[in-house]
Formats: sequence, C-alpha cells, structure tokens
Amino acid sequence: MGIFNRATFAGGIHPPENKEFTQACPIESVPLPKQLAVPLSQHLGAPCKPIVGKKDVVSAGQMIGSSDAFVSAPVHSPASGIVRDIALVPHPVIGRTLAVIIDVDREKSEPKRPRCEQFDDSFNPHQWTVEQICTAVHQAGIVGMGGAGFPTRVKIEPNPSMPKEVLVINGCECEPFITCDYRVMLEWTWQVLAGVRLAAKTAGVSRVRIGIEDNKPDAIELFRQAVKTCPDSEDIQVIAVKTKYPQGGERQLIKSVLGKTVPSGSIPPTIGICVLNAATCAAIAEAVALGQPLTHRVVSVTGRAIARPGNYYVPIGMSVQDLIEHCGGLTETAAKVVLGGPMMGCAIADMSTPLTKTSGALTFLTRKEVTEARFRRRQTPCIRCGRCVMACPEKLNPTRIAHAVKAGKLDLAQQYYITACIECGCCSYVCPANIEITGYIKTGKLLLARAQKKI
Amino acid sequence: MLSKITVSPAPHIGQPLSTQRVMLDVLIGLAPAVAASWYFFRWYAVTAIAVCVAGCLAGEWACNLLRRRPNSLGDLSAAVTGVILALSLPPAVPLWVAAVGGVFAIVIVKMVFGGLGSNIFNPAMASRAFLTASFGVLMTTWTVPAGLDAKMGQMAMTNTSATTQATPLAWSKMALKGQVPAKEVSKLAISSFWGQEGGCLGETSAAALLIGGLYLLARRTITLHIPAAVILSAGAAATIGWLIKPDVYVSPWLHLAGGGMMLCAFFIATDPVTAPLTTMGKWIFGAGVGILIILIRLLGEYPEGVMYAVLIMNAFTPLIDRCCRLVPAGGKPNV
Repeated sequence: MGIFNRATFAGGIHPPENKEFTQACPIESVPLPKQLAVPLSQHLGAPCKPIVGKKDVVSAGQMIGSSDAFVSAPVHSPASGIVRDIALVPHPVIGRTLAVIIDVDREKSEPKRPRCEQFDDSFNPHQWTVEQICTAVHQAGIVGMGGAGFPTRVKIEPNPSMPKEVLVINGCECEPFITCDYRVMLEWTWQVLAGVRLAAKTAGVSRVRIGIEDNKPDAIELFRQAVKTCPDSEDIQVIAVKTKYPQGGERQLIKSVLGKTVPSGSIPPTIGICVLNAATCAAIAEAVALGQPLTHRVVSVTGRAIARPGNYYVPIGMSVQDLIEHCGGLTETAAKVVLGGPMMGCAIADMSTPLTKTSGALTFLTRKEVTEARFRRRQTPCIRCGRCVMACPEKLNPTRIAHAVKAGKLDLAQQYYITACIECGCCSYVCPANIEITGYIKTGKLLLARAQKKI
Repeated sequence: MLSKITVSPAPHIGQPLSTQRVMLDVLIGLAPAVAASWYFFRWYAVTAIAVCVAGCLAGEWACNLLRRRPNSLGDLSAAVTGVILALSLPPAVPLWVAAVGGVFAIVIVKMVFGGLGSNIFNPAMASRAFLTASFGVLMTTWTVPAGLDAKMGQMAMTNTSATTQATPLAWSKMALKGQVPAKEVSKLAISSFWGQEGGCLGETSAAALLIGGLYLLARRTITLHIPAAVILSAGAAATIGWLIKPDVYVSPWLHLAGGGMMLCAFFIATDPVTAPLTTMGKWIFGAGVGILIILIRLLGEYPEGVMYAVLIMNAFTPLIDRCCRLVPAGGKPNV
C-alpha cells in the first residue's frame, strides 16, 4: 500500500487524533444509576408514544415506548424498576424531549454485561429468515448508532423499488478522541461480523465492504482474519481507508471504498448501497440471535478534563452527570462537555441530559484546548483564502453560504447548495478568520426549513 | 462547576491558524526579497520599505479611528501591503512618494471599500498605478544596484549614466524598436535572475522571490495554482512571440526572470482577497495575469505589465467567481 492508492475522498482535514486517552481501555460495565431517563425519540422519524404509565413496574428489556409509524424505533427499559414519571428532559439538539423516567430497582437488576462471548466463527446467519431478522431488528429498537439514528429496519429491509447491491460497514470512527467503535471491533469482532452477515442476508446484497481507517491496523487485521471463515459466496472484504476526517461520513466512505458518488440531496439506497455502522451490526446480532433489545451501548468517555477516561458499556437513559461521577468527576480545567466528538458533537450545559442510542462519546475539553482552538479568539473578516473550499468534502463553497446566511439571503444560500452540506465542520476547523461557518450554515438550514414550513 | 462550562456550536476544535499568522507567513516569505533589496540598494531600500509600511499602518490606524472600529493593525495585512508596495517602487523614489503611496493603498484602495477582505483591487498595485500616474518621472528612474557599476559597460549603450540604468525590460522595449539586438538583451536573463540588473526594489532578484514563494507553498499559505498559471501562461505567451520574431522579441527566460514577474506570481496575484476562490477560477485568473503581462510588455507602451495585468484581472475576479461556481460532489441537487 503506497501513499497514492489508499482508498479516500477529496477534501477533508487531519485534526490531531487524540485517541490515546481511551484506545487501550477495554469496554467496562458501569453500575446501574438510581434513575434512568429514557427519551422517547432517539431516532430520526416519528417519536414513540409511551406504553407504560406512572408507577408501572417495568423489567429489564421491556418495551416502554413504540410507534405505528414506519420510520420509527421502539425504546426499552435498560433495567428493572418503577416508572416515576413521563416528563421532559434536556436534549442537546432540540432543547427538550419527552422521556420515561425510571427509578431503578438496584437490588433486583444487575448491570447488563456484553454478550460478545456468545458469538464465534460457527455463526450461521441462515438460521433465521429475512422476515424474522427484520422483525427482531425492529422490535429491538435498533437505530444507526454512528450518530444520525436512522431506524435500521427501514435501511436493511428488502425494498423492491430500490434493490441493494452493496453493504458498506462503517468502521472508520474518524472523529478525534472517540474510540467506542474501535473497541467494539476489537473485542466483539465475531458479534459485529455476525451482525454484518445478518444485515447482508436481509438486504439481499451481493457484496459487503468493511471500511476501517488505517490508524486501526489491529482492527483491520482481526476482521481480515475473521472474514476468512465466512463462505466465499458472501463476498466480504475489509478495506483499509485513509485516516482523514470525515472519512466516516457515509457519502465519503462510499466514495472511498466503492469509488461511487451519492447524488446530492439523495440517500445511498438510490444507488443500491446500504451503510451500517459497526456498533449497529453488533446490536443487530444481539437482537436476532439473543433477542436482546438495544438498551445499552458503548460510550467513550474521553478528553483531558475527565479523571478516568475509558470505554463504558452504559445503559441508555443514564445521565451525563451519573457517568461523570462514575468516571471520577471533571478535572479543575474542564471547560466544555461535548456529547459526541469534538468535530460534530453538541456542547451541553445541563448535565442531566440523558445518553441515547446515538451517543457514542462524551468529550471533555479543557480551558486551554477550547481557548486555543476557537473560543475567545476574535472573529476577523473573511480574507477569501479558500481554505474552507479546499477542505469541504462535498465540494461546496462554505464561505459563500455562510455570508449569504449572515446577510439573510436564503435564496442565495440555496444557489450555493446549502442543502448539500453535511455539517462536518471542516470549514470552521480550517478558517484562519475564526468564522463559525458551520454554525451559520446550520442556522441557514433551520431558517430555510422554517421558511418552507417544514417545521 | 456549571458556571465554568462553555457552550458553542461545533466544531469545538480548530487549527491553530489565524489571519495574523497567514500575514506573518507572507512577511516571512517576503524576507529574502527584502534582504536582497537591502543588499543591492543598501540602506535606501530599508528606509523606503519602512516608510511605506509606516504609511500603510498610519492609514489603517486613522481609518479605524474614523470608522470607530477596533484596531486592526495586529492582523499585519497593512504591513504586507506596505512591503509589497515598497518592493514594487523604483529605488530612487523620494521617501515622501513612498509615504503617499502607503497611505493611498490603505485608505483609498482598502478601507474605503470596507477594509480587510472587501477591497476589489490589490492595494499595493492600485496605489502603484496612482503613483505612476501622478509622479511619472520619479516612478521610472532606475538606479544602478550598488557595486555593479562595472557591469554597465557591457551593453555599450550611450544613454546610461553612472547612477541610472535602463532595466532589462526597458532594454527589451528598445529591442522592439530595433534600437538594440534582441539577442544581446536576452543574455540579461541570468543576471536578472540573480539580481544584478536594475529594477524595482524587490524585483531585482528573482531567486530571492522564488525562495520566499517556495516557503509560502510549503506553509500552504498560497496554493500552486496561481503562481503556476502566471508563470506557465507568461512563459508560453513569451515563447510564442520569441519563436515568431526572435530578432525583435527577447527570450522568454528574460521575461520570467526580469521585472516583477516572480513578485507578481507568488506575492501579488496570490493576494486571496482579490483573486478568485475556486481552483478553476485561480487557473483562469493566473493565466489571464500571465498573458496580459506579456501582451503589455510586447505590444504595449509600458516596459512592464505586472501592475495593469493584476488590476485588470482583479476587476474580472467577481465575474470569474460567478462563472466558476463549484458543483457539489454529488452533482447539482434538485432543489
């Protein structure tokens, strides 16, 4: 492998990886907190309606919210306990969201442990029919765990109008600091592979491509060895992709591993591709083979401002505050708590925010990091240096869009294809004038949606 | 604990790069040329550069005061304008002309249009055009580089004195009129490259400019597109002329090494504010500058074309930007 033939896309940036805080930390279970707040909307699509009431007794794994809508995913209780309330809890993006608040019965329920030891090379995905797999995936409430949270059933279900040819597995984890998918791929290799094969069977694809960034050579090697046990007919290949942000963006990953470009404004299935995150595949395997709903996930707690960084197997609905306490608390220098990675994550102010199915990381940044980076550095005029244009992985003109939004010209922003922006943050990262380009674009998209009365 | 937590939009990390650092890099890139002009024109060069920079800084400071804006001297952009303007002035220019040029560049060309990032024309070049129009004779008096008087006799020309000298480009203009053989003038290319010929303060040594340009490329302060487009297109245009009439037009090497070509390619045309944003736009802009320089040199009345070439292409920048709109990676969406 030379420098020139590595699978990659045009544009992007190389932020410091900072993976050393947690990449060597094995996945660790956490004790159950006193209270869990399980949000009823942890996915894209219709929010769930609660199907339990106040003071109801719930058991671990019991469904507590569901919806009849096609694009939706039910939610389950991660532990046994009593429903205290159905109330609004803080949400990093939409402000507030409805959640089922459960007082955990810590005597009755044990913290759940990973089930990876139940998968090995003898796994046979053909024990289940496509319908069985689809139902199990839907019933388990599985959504894309990489961040977007799109219901997985909708993605992998056979769809005659959009037949799928290739399944791309996203093992890039291009965000700095985060290592949850990396640890899942290292420790739960067989479970992930089982999920991959189940998803491939369901989607009816002829090829599977697992894309892993080449800064994780051990994960690449493990998967290369593991896929050798699969029958050739399944055609699974592991592809080492160049370490670059945002390699894990699905449009970028498709370009890197298949050389194909997803048309702007449309989704991968329109060109016969289905993309799943590695952790999602592990959840599929657990749901189908063991009947386990998605109630726990691996979260990287990382950064210089947390006492004990690590990769934790966390019940969904656990508050950030509880997790911080379990990790030894914040250091004196803590200045920013980011739900997610530093490039696309949301800075949160309310530590009672619950973790959801899509929360892959909590990044704690110090005052020094925040000050050095962007905060407090004065914004200066755009000098049209073009760094954002060079960095944009979608080949947009970020500075033009940002200026159009700033001037209130949404039609001009649309002419510069504001809707094609994937909000990766590369433009803001490279801007020497310290302009919040991504922030302006996000604002513009929101204003546009409001103008079109979509929300 | 909560009171100390910061909330802001993503991304939460950034490259440790500021406008100030970008401008500082340009100044560092200009350092070899400044050193060369100091070597060739001694203290006169240093004072001229200092006066120009002082004029620019004073203009910026006064304008900020008038516009009630925060002080922006720290971003160093005015200093960059000052140095580039000074390097494009002839060595014998009176210091008050340099000062007027500095003030004009910032106040009229930059601040009146809205300050950093909003000017249409390159401040240094527009100011130089103003000085040329206002003080024609002062702006075309070329002093011999110090210590190089001995070389004067080589061309055996009559109209040279001990203190002034025609520049290589002026020689090539004379070659056009058949006053001197073009072949002889073409031999000046090598000495022009190293800087042993007359010219503006900063144009004398193409080698020094090239070193600074390579530094900017290495620091990624500029991209290769504009310098490559300027040099390739100018080289091509000059070669065509030279192949057609080798006894009238001088060799393309002299065109590349002489005059402000290198200063233009690496430091003037690459001014991000007045150049197009997109890669395609940069190629077009650079090619336009290169071709116009040679057209003016070969067919125009002036011996040097850098200034007007850059100003003309600056005027085209908005149009180029509009024509070279980027197509998103996935093609145009159906909005």
